[in-house]
Amino acid sequence: MHVLVLAEHDGDRLRAGTTAALGFARRLADGDGDQVTCLVLGDSLATVADDAATFGPVLVASHADLAEPLADRWAEVTAGVMRSESADILLGASSTFSRDILGRAGGLLGGAMASDVTGFHRDGGHLVWQRPMYAGAVTASVVLHGNPLIVTVRPTAAEPPERSSPPASITPVEIDLGRLPTSTGHLGLDGRPSHRPDVTEARVVVSGGRGLKTTEDFERLVGGLADRFDGATGSSRALVDAGLAPNDLQVGQTGKVVAPELYIAVGISGAVQHLAGMKNSRVIVAVNSDPHAPIFEVADYGIVGDLYDIVPEMIRQLDAD
Amino acid sequence: MSFLVLVPTKRVPDTDGVIRVVPGELDVDTSHLSFVINPFDAIAVEEALRLRERRDDVEVVVVGIGGEAYEDELRTALAMGADRAIRVDAAEPLDPWNVAGILAELARRLGPRLVLMGKQAVDDDSAQTGQFLAAQLGWPQATFASRIDDSEHGAEVARETDYGIETLSVTWPAVITADLRLNEPRYASLPGILAARGKPIEEMSLEELGIEIEPRVELVGLQQVSSQRTGRRLENVTELLQCLRENTELF
Amino acid sequence: MPTETLTREIFGNIGTVPKAIFYALAIIAGLIAVTTAWPRIRRWRSGRADDSRHSVGQLVRAIFTRVLSQATLGKTRPAASRAHRCLFGGFAVLTLGTILIAVEHVAALLAGREADEPVFHKGLYYAIYEPVMDLAGLAVLAGAGWFLIRRRHGDSSIGHRRSDWMVLFALLFLGASGFLVEGLRIIEADSPGRWVSFVGAAVAGGLETAGVTRETAVVVHRLAWWLHAVVALGLLAAVPSTRLWHAVAGSVLLSGHPERPLGTMTPVTIEEVEATGVFGTSQMTHLSVRQLVSLDACVSCGRCQDECPAHAAGKPLSPRRVVQDLARQLPGIGSDNRPALAGEVVSEETLWSCTTCSACVEVCPLGVDPLELIIGMRRHLIGAGAVRGPAATALQKLSRSGNPWGLPPDQRMDWAEGLEVPTVDDQPDFDVLYWVGCAAAYDRQSRRTARAMVRLLQAAGVRFAVLGERERCTGESARRMGEEFVFAELAAHNIEELGKHKVTRIVTHCPHCLNSLKHDYPDAGGHYEVVHHSEFLSTLVAEGRLQVDRTSPEPVTFHDPCYLARVNGIVDAPREVLEATGAQLDELPRHGCRTACCGAGGGRMWLDDGPEDRVGRDRIEEITAAGAETVVVSCPFCRTMIGDGLATEGSSASIVDLAEVLLESLKESG
Repeated sequence: MHVLVLAEHDGDRLRAGTTAALGFARRLADGDGDQVTCLVLGDSLATVADDAATFGPVLVASHADLAEPLADRWAEVTAGVMRSESADILLGASSTFSRDILGRAGGLLGGAMASDVTGFHRDGGHLVWQRPMYAGAVTASVVLHGNPLIVTVRPTAAEPPERSSPPASITPVEIDLGRLPTSTGHLGLDGRPSHRPDVTEARVVVSGGRGLKTTEDFERLVGGLADRFDGATGSSRALVDAGLAPNDLQVGQTGKVVAPELYIAVGISGAVQHLAGMKNSRVIVAVNSDPHAPIFEVADYGIVGDLYDIVPEMIRQLDAD
Repeated sequence: MSFLVLVPTKRVPDTDGVIRVVPGELDVDTSHLSFVINPFDAIAVEEALRLRERRDDVEVVVVGIGGEAYEDELRTALAMGADRAIRVDAAEPLDPWNVAGILAELARRLGPRLVLMGKQAVDDDSAQTGQFLAAQLGWPQATFASRIDDSEHGAEVARETDYGIETLSVTWPAVITADLRLNEPRYASLPGILAARGKPIEEMSLEELGIEIEPRVELVGLQQVSSQRTGRRLENVTELLQCLRENTELF
Repeated sequence: MPTETLTREIFGNIGTVPKAIFYALAIIAGLIAVTTAWPRIRRWRSGRADDSRHSVGQLVRAIFTRVLSQATLGKTRPAASRAHRCLFGGFAVLTLGTILIAVEHVAALLAGREADEPVFHKGLYYAIYEPVMDLAGLAVLAGAGWFLIRRRHGDSSIGHRRSDWMVLFALLFLGASGFLVEGLRIIEADSPGRWVSFVGAAVAGGLETAGVTRETAVVVHRLAWWLHAVVALGLLAAVPSTRLWHAVAGSVLLSGHPERPLGTMTPVTIEEVEATGVFGTSQMTHLSVRQLVSLDACVSCGRCQDECPAHAAGKPLSPRRVVQDLARQLPGIGSDNRPALAGEVVSEETLWSCTTCSACVEVCPLGVDPLELIIGMRRHLIGAGAVRGPAATALQKLSRSGNPWGLPPDQRMDWAEGLEVPTVDDQPDFDVLYWVGCAAAYDRQSRRTARAMVRLLQAAGVRFAVLGERERCTGESARRMGEEFVFAELAAHNIEELGKHKVTRIVTHCPHCLNSLKHDYPDAGGHYEVVHHSEFLSTLVAEGRLQVDRTSPEPVTFHDPCYLARVNGIVDAPREVLEATGAQLDELPRHGCRTACCGAGGGRMWLDDGPEDRVGRDRIEEITAAGAETVVVSCPFCRTMIGDGLATEGSSASIVDLAEVLLESLKESG
């Protein structure tokens, strides 16, 4: 089995998701003769290629026309490499990058694709993939029919592999420039004003309520905890009313409706207006000093106590991991 | 020359509905669920309607692929203001590859300048169909769009990515998939639905389109992810993190 | 002086030819009035036919209950109200007096009497008539004068039209010149018993002292008379073109019945919408005839604006501005290419700012109904797909889940855990149905109200039941947002469930549910006797079925909900309950029917507002300023809005429902 992993990088190093995907690929390609190759596209890729080569063999497609990750070009090149390498599985970390490019590559390669995979097992000769459906309420097990297979995996589904020394081979790939589509152009990238993901998209949301006393506390505790999960921050209407959080962080019936994997409600009492905005979260954790706060009735897990003690402790323990 | 916008829509359970797997079956219990138009597709319909308000040559055609029950969702889209609807009669569920195949054939026959659809369906959560379609047609794609500025020959599209807003230019014809922040869809009320009764829903069959379904994804298991909301009180942070490690895919 | 010789010559000193000219001018003035009035009347008739009937009796009744009463005119502007009573009353009396003179004149002609042999205008009648007319004249002067002085100060809350100054000056002039003419007549005709016309006599006395002789008076009298006559006729001719038209339009409006009772809405069925293709009002011709009349009746006095809570919060809503903006569209009614009412003539933000508190409807002296105009335009926006965002989401959730938050219907009984609350299936022989409502079912704060209520009902031995998981939102807020059909869907479901269990009596703690079940549901075919829990509990206490300890007086304040106090007139019952508990009630400045809206009605609960912009902010400030430690409420919306508002202010006051207060005061059972 030959697994090709499409690298997502920042021009210097592979992004964390890709290293996790490489780890996942290793688990798939664990037999004799199995192979995991990392495909790196872009321009001026020397540093990235070196980084990738510490994980295994690397194929590099470097050209000015590939400087930006435009799906039509990158998918074309990727599909071409898949065919020329006769690879069996095209893998990437589940991210906007991969969904965009691997999605299109999947369309060029016959459509046997599974997205956002969290695990796999073998059943007879088949690979059975686990993936979430209905916003994570249900885990589906699917078998893909076709060749090659295209899979995007959750970064939490695997650990990055050990880096090897000496680094593996880096092989350039020939690009047929004439075949590269030109109907898409890159006009710019505006970095996020906040380093945090949007509250409606994040996997983890940490939300603060009236239990917090100052804006600084909100940033330190709620923001700090969210950062440990690469998550987003949210707030209850009460906190916005108190002027301690901006309106666009408000989660609730008249604010944002969110459904993350994990929703941590810090110092929030749990009025129905707030509930309406987060009730579809997969797992809800409540931290509140009032043992009778209604939020505990909708939480999966709760800790009664002072958030000013509990949240720093959470941060400390997460950092220690 | 008319600017045709094709908006594929999917019929999905209302996200407020409680999803329960039928024990022993590869299906969820739909008996108590309301079905609605996929929220991201409603955003796509809304955007197509706004496009029509900006230009004066746009025709908005919504497509549903499924059984008769689909007509409800198509009527909702017509009530919002779409010009006409097409239902391709097919047994559900179809995987993204086959849906894309059907849409590609429709696109070849109808000649839209733009296929505008939701980025993903809230039941399947694959987010693949738009990209498959673009690949099959060989058209440029712009996924997770949060703003579309159309012009004569194409559009500038702002995309939501993990690292910020990326702006692309695409030329027509193109496939664009809609993200949450593209717009807020208008509410369709009963009078709108009544007025929409005069708009046609054309029925097509797979035979007419010359499509044969070749499944790529086979569902072999369905498991309920438990969500008991028991409010389990934990003593300390260590216990909490342990529970989270065991019960989420986040660590 | 013998009274039987008390009289005066009518039309005295006016020759035959001038009289004829006068009549000719009167006819011309009348014609001008009619020809300028007719197009206005024709425009009214371009509206939708409505089934209101008109009667003089209704008009007279309405004049006393609305125009002359403190409840409307005097509510916010006692001084202006007095001035209007003087002006309107005085003018009405003078008009009546003039009519009587005309009758006398014609009667005398027919009876062939000479000028000095009146038919009835003499003697005791005359001795009463004259001073009354003089008083009326003084009233007109006082009223017109007061209004002129107020207008000079440029008050922006009153209406301003170019002709307003002219009208007021004309009235002032007529009052003054009337007395001048009277004085001159007294000198010229040397009328017996001049002092019955005491003002005229004073004027005459003054003039005589100034050296005016009888000969002079003869000439000057004619001059003054003609001036007075011309101005009077001119004013008559100008009535349809000035704000005086409000008296005519207003009379038409006030004479119509039935008036829409507060809390009700004009239903519209799907069949009507199918047949007409129209839902709500987007053009002037969609308004009913009565509504079009009301646009002309509005004199832009601004009392509705004074009472509007949205306006007080700085929202772009002024009920009288809505009416006036629509009134400006009257000239173009029925022609093509008119601007859309909802969105162009009246902005969408204006329409969505309304909490349907009904204060504007209640206070209007002429019975103009700005609320119904607003709802009509909201309906159009809903039907035209102009709603999006939180409002649209709330309507969708109501439609799909039967509650505004999209929570699972099968959780509707979770509030009752541990309480043994019988459903209609558990207790089919219940006496009264307790309608729980969405807030008490799902909102953890409001659940306390329901739980307290259940304990009270059990303590009193009331045989009650709840509808259980089959209960859905009454649809009240959907209807007031203009979504008549989500309301109809929900109502149909609820009525079916209530019918299955033969429900006839309902008690509820939510004034919105109360109002909907009582006033909306008949439109959908559901008729019930509906009681608010304050009334129910008050009766239980009075009957001794609840034994209450008059616990040590605790100072509380009570916030009257709009839908309880104003819309449904229930003000005493909550106070009776509080009194029974011995609580010491410190009334808020605006209490009872004058209560101030918390801001949640009309679907506004589901709309997004920053704390600075929220309607009802001024009420929060009022409550905080009153310094209450405990605020008693009797509505779940008020509970949420006021609770949130007080917390924002950093207040430590606690909020409780009436039922919770009563529960705490129950005697320990032996």
